[in-house]
Formats: sequence, structure tokens, C-alpha cells
Amino acid sequence: MQKVRLGDVIIFLLATLLIVFSFTFYKGLSGRPEVRVRADGGEWVYDLAADTTATFKGPVGETTIEIKEGRVRVVDSDCKNKVCIAAGWISSPGQWIICLPNNVFVRLEGSLKGGTIDDLSF
Amino acid sequence: MTSPSKIRVDFVALLAACALFLSTVEYLVPKPLPFMRLGLANLPLIIALGLLSWKEYLLLALLKVLGQALITGTIFSYIVLFSIVGTTASVLLMYLTHSLFRKWVSLVGVSIAGAMGSNSAQLLLSRYLLFGEAAKLIAPPFLIVGLITSVLLGLFAQQFILKSRWYKKYLEGGR
Repeated sequence: MQKVRLGDVIIFLLATLLIVFSFTFYKGLSGRPEVRVRADGGEWVYDLAADTTATFKGPVGETTIEIKEGRVRVVDSDCKNKVCIAAGWISSPGQWIICLPNNVFVRLEGSLKGGTIDDLSF
Repeated sequence: MTSPSKIRVDFVALLAACALFLSTVEYLVPKPLPFMRLGLANLPLIIALGLLSWKEYLLLALLKVLGQALITGTIFSYIVLFSIVGTTASVLLMYLTHSLFRKWVSLVGVSIAGAMGSNSAQLLLSRYLLFGEAAKLIAPPFLIVGLITSVLLGLFAQQFILKSRWYKKYLEGGR
């Protein structure tokens, strides 16, 4: 009977190599949570642990965010509906606030430690 | 016997029907995540390697994609794109591996190559089409499951072509 051959072993090793390589994607992910803001002109990154405020210019005016005690919110925005301000504080990775009229996108990234799964279904 | 250039429609149809049936069986098996499947429907594709011309092989691959999409109800959704891309990649890789390295590679190696090709292609597609960078996070478990299931399928296929009288009959009576 023909058994597993040399080529099989080589292909298996190549596949294992591919998998090992794929694990490098996880690097640099489990850092501290950070606040990423995308607005007109680029993307800014802030440490969630450092309290600060920042203002971003957009098509309809200025949008100001505040980072305080590990949370972020939009304090003030020149948009019409103020949905971004109404969104309030966010604090877990994966959450986000958007001011659509002013093209400002605030999102939290970082490890999911302490984060919860939204839902599971089988 | 049919001439070499002619497509043996009835024979391809038999294998396609087999893939359709296995798709159904696969659909019955609960999956922890929607994309983590056994790949049972690929079994006819692996076994058919030594039996079909490349034209017939491509036809079988197309029928497998259509059949599977029909069974899972994804035929008119973007998911069928993943199926097409994955199957195309795996079919090309398996056919090449089998025809170029037949002496050194059994169906186990062919199966692994096919699964890795399929999974990588689908990961790339989801990277550029759907999820962006986040698609990378699913890569390791996705590839590991692919490796395990493809080894099992490959072992089964290899046993099958060694033991099956049906296979022997078609191998001798074929092209």
C-alpha cells in the first residue's frame, strides 16, 4: 500500500509554516486601548489613559472630543443634530462615535480584555 | 470509450451529484462559526483528480460551487463569491500539485494544498472586500481548521482510491 509520501510531508510543513506566520498578525494588537480619530486630513491616535481634549476641523465646523478617566466623548460639535454629543461616553474597545456631518470618526481600539461578546447563536 | 477531448457529461454529473449530496450532509453538521466547515463537498474534487481531464475537472468544480450554493441558500448572496474564489484557488492548486508532483505527493498532500489555497484566497478576499485589516485575526484558527480537515479528507481519499474497485474501473477505462 502506498503510504504518505515525501511531498505530503513537505506540503504539510509548508502549511504549518503558513499557520505560524499567520500568528504574527496578532502582534501589536494586545496593547493598551487607544482612541483613534479619523477626520478631514488624517487619523490621530490618543492614549485612552491620558486625559486630554482635542479639536478637529471638518466640513461644517469644529468637533471637540474629551478623554477623561478612560472614557471618550464628543463635548462639542458644530453639526446640526448633535447626535455625536448625545452618544455620550464610550469606554470599551470596539465602540465608536461618529459625527457624520463633520466627518469625524472616533473609535476605541485595543485588546478585548474586559470586553464582552455581544451575542452568540448556534 | 469516448474520445479524449470529449467531456463525459454523465460521469462528471455523477461526481457532481456526489458533491451535492455531501454538501447536504455538511449542511446538517452544526458549525461553531459559519465559515469553519469540514469541506466534505471537496471529496469528489480530490478523488476525481486522477479520473478527469482538466476541462471536465473545471466543469465539476463549477457544478460543486453551484450545488453547494443551492443547498446552503447562498446562491444570490455575496457568500457565493467566497465559494467561487476558494474553489477556484483550491482546484487550480490541487490540479497543478497532482499533475506536476504525482510521484511524490499523495492525495493527502494534494488535499492540504487545496485547503490552504482555498483558505488563503478567501482570507484575502475578506481582507479586501469585507472586513479590512480585521480579517487577519481570523486567519490562524481558519487555517488550522483547514489543515486538520484537509488531512482527514486527504487520508480518506487516499484510502478510497487504493481500495475502491469503482475507482479502478474508471481509472483503467478512462482516458
